[in-house]
Amino acid sequence: MILPGFAYARPKTVRTAIALHNGSQGQAVYLAGGTDLVPRLKYRLVNPTVVIDLKGIQTLTSIIPGRRFLKIGANVTLHDLKNHPAVRENYPALYQSLDATSCETLQMRGTIAGNVLQNTRCLFYNKPDEWRKAKGYCLKMGGPACNAVKGAKMCFANYAGDNAPALITLNAEVKLSGIDGERQMPLEAIFSGKSDLPYTIKPGEILTHILIPGGKTKGDYLKLRVRGSIDYPLVGAAVSLVNERGRVAVGAVGSKPLCFDFDASEAGWVDRIAREVSDAVRPVANTVLSPAYRKKMAGTLVKRIARKLAEENR
Amino acid sequence: MKKMTVNFMVNGESVSVEVKPYETLLETLREQLHLTGAKEACGTGACGSCTVILNSIPVRSCLVLTPEVDGMEVTTIEGLKVDGKLHPLQETFMEKGAIQCGFCTSGMILTAKALLDRQKKPSKEQIIRTVSSNTCRCTGYKKIIEAVTAASRKTERE
Repeated sequence: MILPGFAYARPKTVRTAIALHNGSQGQAVYLAGGTDLVPRLKYRLVNPTVVIDLKGIQTLTSIIPGRRFLKIGANVTLHDLKNHPAVRENYPALYQSLDATSCETLQMRGTIAGNVLQNTRCLFYNKPDEWRKAKGYCLKMGGPACNAVKGAKMCFANYAGDNAPALITLNAEVKLSGIDGERQMPLEAIFSGKSDLPYTIKPGEILTHILIPGGKTKGDYLKLRVRGSIDYPLVGAAVSLVNERGRVAVGAVGSKPLCFDFDASEAGWVDRIAREVSDAVRPVANTVLSPAYRKKMAGTLVKRIARKLAEENR
Repeated sequence: MKKMTVNFMVNGESVSVEVKPYETLLETLREQLHLTGAKEACGTGACGSCTVILNSIPVRSCLVLTPEVDGMEVTTIEGLKVDGKLHPLQETFMEKGAIQCGFCTSGMILTAKALLDRQKKPSKEQIIRTVSSNTCRCTGYKKIIEAVTAASRKTERE
């Protein structure tokens, strides 16, 4: 498959990267591992004039354990992060979500920030241009109607990242750098809730670091997919527990991970949280599995993790 | 679009190529350097038939832009034979019959080589995990796993 024409730049600092983006009149995209971006380019889902490669920025490649946070550089690969002792020991939900992401080879290339900031996916959107043209462009492509839900005037593409749900259950924060300076916010705040434009990040802003609060947690991540070897989640459920305070995040059932908080000291919390999740998620017919099955499985995956955690806590 | 000069090492030899900024490493290897061992199948990073080793990491060369590899070291299947002697993995793939149509083989061997380079004696689970990065539609993986296991024993003895 041939790529569309674009220029290539490899800046050495975050500041130069932002300046390059700023000079492109919004026609630039950032490249890290490329495992999400390059297929999108090949499918003509994005048509930039310049691709700015962030891998030359050395300040974004390290994992620094600190007193308050584990500070993870944007360019750290999923494989390196998975094998970091702090992740293995303290954040089981994140370890499992990293381990469940795609396949080993792509984990070695894909970066954590690239994985978190991947675009939303739909059975009727992630297709070659000819396919989409023949079908008629959908809302996410600027077309007149949704191709997944008949008559719908909004986009339902799913956020299919594995690691953002796990990071959200760990109360992770993100550091962004842009033309107006730096800002830091909870990870869940970067999601707009709109499937066609899924992020609140401003044009040219770079996610430079992910910060996870220190300390041991319990948790797990389970995902529903067709092939165990690779595949995006069709439902992804992460649960983390710090003492008795728990957090659930469910991905791949809408534009952003859905969050639920619970108290694990209350009687009957396992069934209650599983039911709450299953009732709340509203998948539509835009993946290879039916919405009814995915809705049920969202609750089931949460229940499986919650049962295991309740056993461990006993 | 203006062409770029990219310098990198391929199988131990330095090369300098003039590429379009949007040329993939797979295109450069196959069409400019005539190293056709890496195959294009899905073109979107799902299947692994275009796998090459980039600075000791296996990568899908269909997802890598050639300008990205400037100054780096690439190993393709053509580079595994040393002084006329095949790599242990190439031998055991033949001995165990781990090749049928052969289309996935170069990617499969390079993925396995990267594993054996970083882990001398991987467990069966680890081998399964690693080769499941690559799609093989013929063998059912049994003989591939046997071949990688046999190669790990061979390299351990050497």
